[in-house]
Amino acid sequence: MIPFIHFLNILLPILYLGTFSIYFYDFMKGEKKFINIKRLFIFITLLMHLVYLLIRTSEFEHPPITNVFEIFTVLAFSITFSYFLLELITDIRGTGPFIIIISFVFQLISSMFIVDQFAVKEVLKSNLLGIHVVSALLGYSGFTISAVYGFLYLNLYKDLKDNRFGLIFNRLPNLEVLERLSFYSAVLGFILLTIAIIIGVIWLPQAFPGFSFVDPKLIGTALVWLLYAIGIFTKLFSRWRGKKLILLSITGFIIAIFSTILSNFLSLSFHSFY
Amino acid sequence: MQLIAVSINHKTAAVQLREALHLSDDEIREIIIKAKDNFIKEGLLLSTCNRTEIYGIPVSSQITHQQLQNIITDNKNSITISPENFQKFTSRESLKHLFSVISGIDSLLIGDNQIFKQVKNAFAIAEEMNFAGFLMRRVFDSAIRVGKRAISETAISEGAVTISYAAVQLIEKIFSNLSKKSALIIGTGETGEIAAKHLRDRGIGRLALSNRTFEKAERLAADLKTAVFPFDTFKDHLHKFDIIISATSAEEIIISRSDVESAMKKRNFASMVLMDIAVPRDIDPAIKKIEYVFYHDIDSLNIIVEQNLAKRKDEIPKVEKIIDDELDSFFEWYNSLQSAPTIKSIREHFDEIRAEEVEKNINKFSSEDREKLEIVTKRIINKILHHPTTELRKINESGTGAEDAATKMGIIKSLFGIDKPEHKEKT
Repeated sequence: MIPFIHFLNILLPILYLGTFSIYFYDFMKGEKKFINIKRLFIFITLLMHLVYLLIRTSEFEHPPITNVFEIFTVLAFSITFSYFLLELITDIRGTGPFIIIISFVFQLISSMFIVDQFAVKEVLKSNLLGIHVVSALLGYSGFTISAVYGFLYLNLYKDLKDNRFGLIFNRLPNLEVLERLSFYSAVLGFILLTIAIIIGVIWLPQAFPGFSFVDPKLIGTALVWLLYAIGIFTKLFSRWRGKKLILLSITGFIIAIFSTILSNFLSLSFHSFY
Repeated sequence: MQLIAVSINHKTAAVQLREALHLSDDEIREIIIKAKDNFIKEGLLLSTCNRTEIYGIPVSSQITHQQLQNIITDNKNSITISPENFQKFTSRESLKHLFSVISGIDSLLIGDNQIFKQVKNAFAIAEEMNFAGFLMRRVFDSAIRVGKRAISETAISEGAVTISYAAVQLIEKIFSNLSKKSALIIGTGETGEIAAKHLRDRGIGRLALSNRTFEKAERLAADLKTAVFPFDTFKDHLHKFDIIISATSAEEIIISRSDVESAMKKRNFASMVLMDIAVPRDIDPAIKKIEYVFYHDIDSLNIIVEQNLAKRKDEIPKVEKIIDDELDSFFEWYNSLQSAPTIKSIREHFDEIRAEEVEKNINKFSSEDREKLEIVTKRIINKILHHPTTELRKINESGTGAEDAATKMGIIKSLFGIDKPEHKEKT
């Protein structure tokens, strides 16, 4: 099985690149003939990725969530999977390349640095941790998709204001739809992150008795959670809309990325497992 | 194929001449009555604001394009027509022209799908007047298929190519559901009226009009069942609308930046689209600096129109490919009609000769050999005719052009004297 895992590890970035390429080509050309082919591509990529994650879990006897490169491959899968569901539900097919490219980057980094890890820290062998990580990753996927739609909103907004009627104008859905997609993705991300935080708070004292509440990871996550909470609250109960909310969502996403880098790569946090 | 056609259209004649030759549905019916049996066995008469054309199978080969042209111009004595005002088509070219017309690639506004409905209407009149026979019905079916395929398989009709449609296309890039939006049209001249009708067609939730001449706005409002605001108070209502289209003939700015700023405050900066399709402009362009205000004038709408027209032009080769496919398919069918009777005639001709010779010489054979004689002579005829029959069938299968097929069949008939009067007399 190990050689097959290695083969899939090489194949996955290629599949993501292929899927991205066909989505990007379709975005540039806008030809009807690729509409179904690109959906087939994304489906095959996700299927192969799911097989990879399942075999990896079975072979190494732990879900691939114990180090940052394992997490990256799960993140790549969950971002594209969330987008795929969104595409099926809304039938909006023109925004794929902007999201799939992110999965490609995560998968490429993962494939380059991931190692065959049989032994994991005792602290990571917990069911609560599994739920915590999965909900956190899906939450961050929601924030990623929200930020991408936010970015596309800002571009279309600017083009419409400046009378530029190019690819962005011709291929993207309208401003209201982009704003809605960004908002709903953020709400979903927020709910999942809230679940991850609650589980984390329950699990944390058991796993790390000496943890500190001023840990960079906890501060970063709290800040991200607070930003999205403000955004959702002001949208629902106040009159914030459009650019303000979008900028909030993008800021939340950037803080989430920085928080992950700080805690995992610079080993400044108890949350660093690599 | 004996289909001939003449056409006066936007490529060959100025608008005044086209208008003069435009025919109402009733006029078309009258002309069909005159043309039927005298000039044309079956056919089609199409008249729109950009073209008037007649297609038909002539009652004899002596009928000329000029006679067909006269059918259209006979009752229009006051106009002067020069030869270059009419295009003339014969056989495959006639059909190709009809296919180009119905697919929109011959239209003034390339890809205009109005023409599809107009051609269908012309077909309906031909049917109603018993002007559509066996052949023309097949022509109609093929033409309709070309029109449908052009729309579904290419982007020839996609994108707005008029200012009013471009305005709607732009609005739809901002708002997702027009049924939940409201629009105010200021100025109910032709442009304003078209814009109002487009918005109504796209399902706008609430529509209101305002015009300097209140009665004129009221008349249009009655047609469209909308509200009307007096011109001097419309500014008080600006904030109530998501879309404002201004198309007045005012010489000065009628909506200033401060008007829009005030409206936006009242709307709590909910997005607002302002389309200025008047010349000179009605709305101060400085409003585009206000957040969530989308301002577009006729120049920016023209950019969209030009882009879409260019895209439609790029689609023409794809439509031409569809036309060629359908032409081939039509002539494959048509040639099969032509060659099947030819094969039958040749076989009958040879069998007659065989039977005649057998009859003449039958007494030279014994009674037991006579049956063998029948079998042997039939086998000889079959062997002789095997190759020519196969070749004729190949004409159908290969979909060779009508002229080529007709030539080949003509040679065969001429060589064997088939269909000649003396041959017919014999049979």
